[in-house]
Amino acid sequence: ATSTLNAPQGEVDSLMHEVADEAGLELNMDMPQSSTSIASSQSTKEQDELSARLARLRQA
Amino acid sequence: VVVRSASIVGPGEPALAKQKHHHRKAFECISRALKLDEEDRGRKEQAIELYKRGIEELEKGIAIEIIGQGDVFDRAKHLKDKMRANLAMAKDRLEVLVTGRNLAARKK
Repeated sequence: ATSTLNAPQGEVDSLMHEVADEAGLELNMDMPQSSTSIASSQSTKEQDELSARLARLRQA
Repeated sequence: VVVRSASIVGPGEPALAKQKHHHRKAFECISRALKLDEEDRGRKEQAIELYKRGIEELEKGIAIEIIGQGDVFDRAKHLKDKMRANLAMAKDRLEVLVTGRNLAARKK
């Protein structure tokens, strides 16, 4: 199933943080990334996600 | 047959690797800040600290000069623009939270 491979990194990360938060753990921020070490379209998408959420708070 | 080789960027491009590193850290901090901030009775104090850390990472990432040609560099420049936009927005949000906190403190 490709869906597992295509899970957006952002969603995966926030899920991991959710689990870690609940367990009271501090995630190691320097965890090696599986992807390449250069900016990818994924990185851009992640920044877009932050923009959207910040914009929503501004309107609230 | 035209073979368009993907721009291969190796360890010779530390600027791009550094940019990605700061992007990632900023994303992690600000995502967590947002998660707290989005809750009505969220832990705003913690959110403030996470925003501050995220803002620092964005500033470090934006400070990196991206010089080069090709897809990867275009993408890196694009990412830099996005980071710059988010820096402004995160700073605005931080200010709102800090102002709100100070007002609440004065009322007590």
